[in-house]
Amino acid sequence: MKKVEAIIKPFKLDDVKEALNEIGIQGMTISEVKGYGRQKGHKEIYRGAEYVVDFIPKIKIEIIVQSERVKEVMETIQKAAYTGKIGDGKIFILPMEEVIRVRTGEKGEDAI
Amino acid sequence: MMLTNAKKIKFVPAAEQLREKSAHLISDFLKRKTPDFIKEHAQILDDYFFESFENSMIGPKMGMEKNPYAIIALGGYGRQEQFIHSDVDLLFLFEKYVPDEASDLIQEVVYPLWDIGLEVGYATRSLKECVKLAGKDLEVLTSVLDARLICGMSYLYSALMEQLRDKIARKRSRKIIKKLIENSRLRHEVFGDSAFLLEPNLKEGQGGLRDYHTMLWITKLNSNLRQFRDFEYYGFLSHDEFQSLKKALHFIGSVRNCLHHLSDRKCDQLYFEYQIKMAHALKFETANGQQPVEIFLGKLHGHMEFLKQQHLMLIYELGLSKNLRSKGKIAGPNGVAGLEITENGMLNFVSSESILDDPSLLMKIFEESAALNIPLSAEAKRLIREFSYLVDEEFSSSAKQLESFERILVKPISTFNVLNEMLNTGFLIRFIPDFKDISNRIQYDEYHLYPVDRHLLRTVQYIKVFGTSEGKSKYPLCNDLYKGLKKRSLLLWAALLHDIGKGKTGVSHSISGAEIAGEILKKKGYGAEDIETVSFLIKEHLLLVKTATRRDLNDEETAVSCARKIKDVEQLKMLYLLTVADCMATGPKAWSDWTAALLRDLFFKISKILEKGELASREAVEAIEKKKKEVLGFARPRYAKDAIETLFGFMSPRYLLYIPSASIMEHIGLYNNLESGAFVWNVAKTFDSNTRTVTICAKDRPGLFSKIAGTFTLNGLDILDAQIFTWRNNIAVDIFEVTPPVDQIFEEERWQKAKMQLQEALSGGLDLKKALKEKISVYRPEKRPVNGRPHQINVDNESSSFFTIIEVFTHDFPGLLFMITDAIFRCGLDIWVAKIATKVDQVVDVFYVRDFDGQKVDTPEQEKMIKNTVEEILPGFSS
Repeated sequence: MKKVEAIIKPFKLDDVKEALNEIGIQGMTISEVKGYGRQKGHKEIYRGAEYVVDFIPKIKIEIIVQSERVKEVMETIQKAAYTGKIGDGKIFILPMEEVIRVRTGEKGEDAI
Repeated sequence: MMLTNAKKIKFVPAAEQLREKSAHLISDFLKRKTPDFIKEHAQILDDYFFESFENSMIGPKMGMEKNPYAIIALGGYGRQEQFIHSDVDLLFLFEKYVPDEASDLIQEVVYPLWDIGLEVGYATRSLKECVKLAGKDLEVLTSVLDARLICGMSYLYSALMEQLRDKIARKRSRKIIKKLIENSRLRHEVFGDSAFLLEPNLKEGQGGLRDYHTMLWITKLNSNLRQFRDFEYYGFLSHDEFQSLKKALHFIGSVRNCLHHLSDRKCDQLYFEYQIKMAHALKFETANGQQPVEIFLGKLHGHMEFLKQQHLMLIYELGLSKNLRSKGKIAGPNGVAGLEITENGMLNFVSSESILDDPSLLMKIFEESAALNIPLSAEAKRLIREFSYLVDEEFSSSAKQLESFERILVKPISTFNVLNEMLNTGFLIRFIPDFKDISNRIQYDEYHLYPVDRHLLRTVQYIKVFGTSEGKSKYPLCNDLYKGLKKRSLLLWAALLHDIGKGKTGVSHSISGAEIAGEILKKKGYGAEDIETVSFLIKEHLLLVKTATRRDLNDEETAVSCARKIKDVEQLKMLYLLTVADCMATGPKAWSDWTAALLRDLFFKISKILEKGELASREAVEAIEKKKKEVLGFARPRYAKDAIETLFGFMSPRYLLYIPSASIMEHIGLYNNLESGAFVWNVAKTFDSNTRTVTICAKDRPGLFSKIAGTFTLNGLDILDAQIFTWRNNIAVDIFEVTPPVDQIFEEERWQKAKMQLQEALSGGLDLKKALKEKISVYRPEKRPVNGRPHQINVDNESSSFFTIIEVFTHDFPGLLFMITDAIFRCGLDIWVAKIATKVDQVVDVFYVRDFDGQKVDTPEQEKMIKNTVEEILPGFSS
């Protein structure tokens, strides 16, 4: 099992969610996060006052998948989240040791 | 002394009886057959104790003559409010001292109750001990305040209550009451947290049963009130208030009881998992577009709110609330006949007759409350409720009343929220009848914390906070914008009414709300322009948040399309303030740093576009709409129309603004021919045949422009004017006006050659720079013309949120445009929009650029680099 973590632009959430649903991924966790990479923040001057944006709002998606599906999931997310402009985000793959479903106690892939 | 088994057997039946009776009672309750469950539940417990007392073996042994005792109920049991899983609080009160046999008595009487699963707490005290303890411990005191004799020596009970009164209440009531009020305040603070608003705590929450207990205790300490009905009997509450309070307590009590049953324990917090089941158990049904659980929670909220208000009012009345420090300094209400300030420092009517004489007092008292910053007395609120029927249609549409109301609406924040009181007393619903549909209306999700009517008032409140010094430090941008508004009242009206459409089902509440608000303001005599502004704000109050979270903010089109809807800067400011206040007033999930950042970013972008004016002015909007219609008119077959609509979505805002409809049609034709090629172009003679217009449609890529320019130069075609556009699907549409080829006879071949060369340049087969080197060195002047103006290069990062704008003013020479665009390309920049103009030999070139990552280039180092790179290739700069 692996954990897939993706950082994407906020307005792409619906597209990514739909694309994942279409390949049969039903569950995910979403968080509102901030960050920057090469897409740097910027400074706005409004009526003499400076408003600095260092960290740019993004959405983080986390899902657990069977190892065999990782490639498919990665490609799906990448395609759906793509705009071609800077700040499109990144996808990370992490190893996942164990998963338990709280309600039933199921473990491993049954719990995904 | 040990009990023998025989004796034990004697008492078990009593406990068993109790268990049976209890079960019956509970099942009757679930069938809704016992309206007075909590009292009856207490009574069957009493029965048990009577029996125990009568049949007690230990009792007589203790020598009733020597050491009389009484069994007394405390706390909730004492109040005869015994819920399904309530504890049983007992006091075994002895006259002189607690004998050793007391523990045997407990075993006899209390243990069987534990055996059947009841939670029993008991104290064994002597009269003296009890009074002493009550004097020291507030919790003991309050539980004893509710004491009730079950059985035993009644004179002991009387003595206890008397001593409580004489030794404690009389001497220290003020101090104790202050402590109780402080506890209440802390409790409200803790349980006012957002989590508790969604899952109310029926005992400790704001408007929970503790509020009622506190009212009882305070009044018991302060006066001779003994039981609940004395509230009316002794005039603490009017008849109507008493009845409403009774209903509220009954409903809250039923819910609590039901909750005990559903959770099978002493649970007082209405968690989500119980809410829907509860609505079902209490037989609520779908109505008026609302689910049963929403109606249920609305009703609960209404009752808890009422209880909370009664609780607060009582505290105010006592004059012990913190807020009323300033007694002496308040002068009379500036000679408003019919109003007065009570000795507690609160506002009241002189008499009920004065209201009948002058109904406008009903509005005036609110105005005075806001102006003087003092609360209304309980009496005043009662009278307002009673006389609110005088607020009829004539009253509601009177210009005078409207002015008064507006003054209240616009008045900066005071300690006492006057609008809240208008809502609580029912005045607001009379003045604006549409409020009725949203009264206590709950939206069942984890997002909306407050019923709609309260949410609207909170939104108004938040906007007013923006204008205060707190607003200045916490929300500087909002503070700045609010202060600069020309017509604050319109924004506040929009805030007050923005969700009023939520009472209607089936329609978007923004749209229906805008209509309703329009009607309301029309009745109140507002002008068409003002009504339009408020309607617009309400109709689009969700626009900014939706856009900020769902669309690409780095695409100019996003900001432009919003700007075109909003049309002017003043409206944008109001809409932004309304949006922020609305989110804050909804609940913590609706507003966070994260959302704030996105919203602010969008605001700045739209603001700039509106300030520049050209892309989003009313004229621009109209012109574009007209063009679109014309273009669609040119198209014949049905499918082409759909395709064209799709293309409109791709065309950039500038393109649509500047290109005439006939040309748009032509470009669409070109685009349809593009397919997999790198570019297509069309050469046309201008009407006087002196120049040629070359329209190129190509797949955009960095350096495209410079390659086109270079190819033209290579073929001896001077570029006079150029307009460069990039569609949002990465298609470049470039329109050049050039001099015709020198050789006009073989013009066609010339163009063919140029086309091929461009193809080669794009595929990498032709090195334009090299090919042009000679040609350019021939043409480029070494020195600047003597009387010519010096060249100028501006790098502007302020005018646009989306592009860095490079302006070049210089002298023309063949190949100049290629040199400039090539220089720009070498800086790692992509040209999105360009406007090239030549007047005689003066050139004005404007380029809207971004780096290859799509960002502006706005560091000082980058700006310098651009300037230097371009300058190098200009006339007069020796290489």
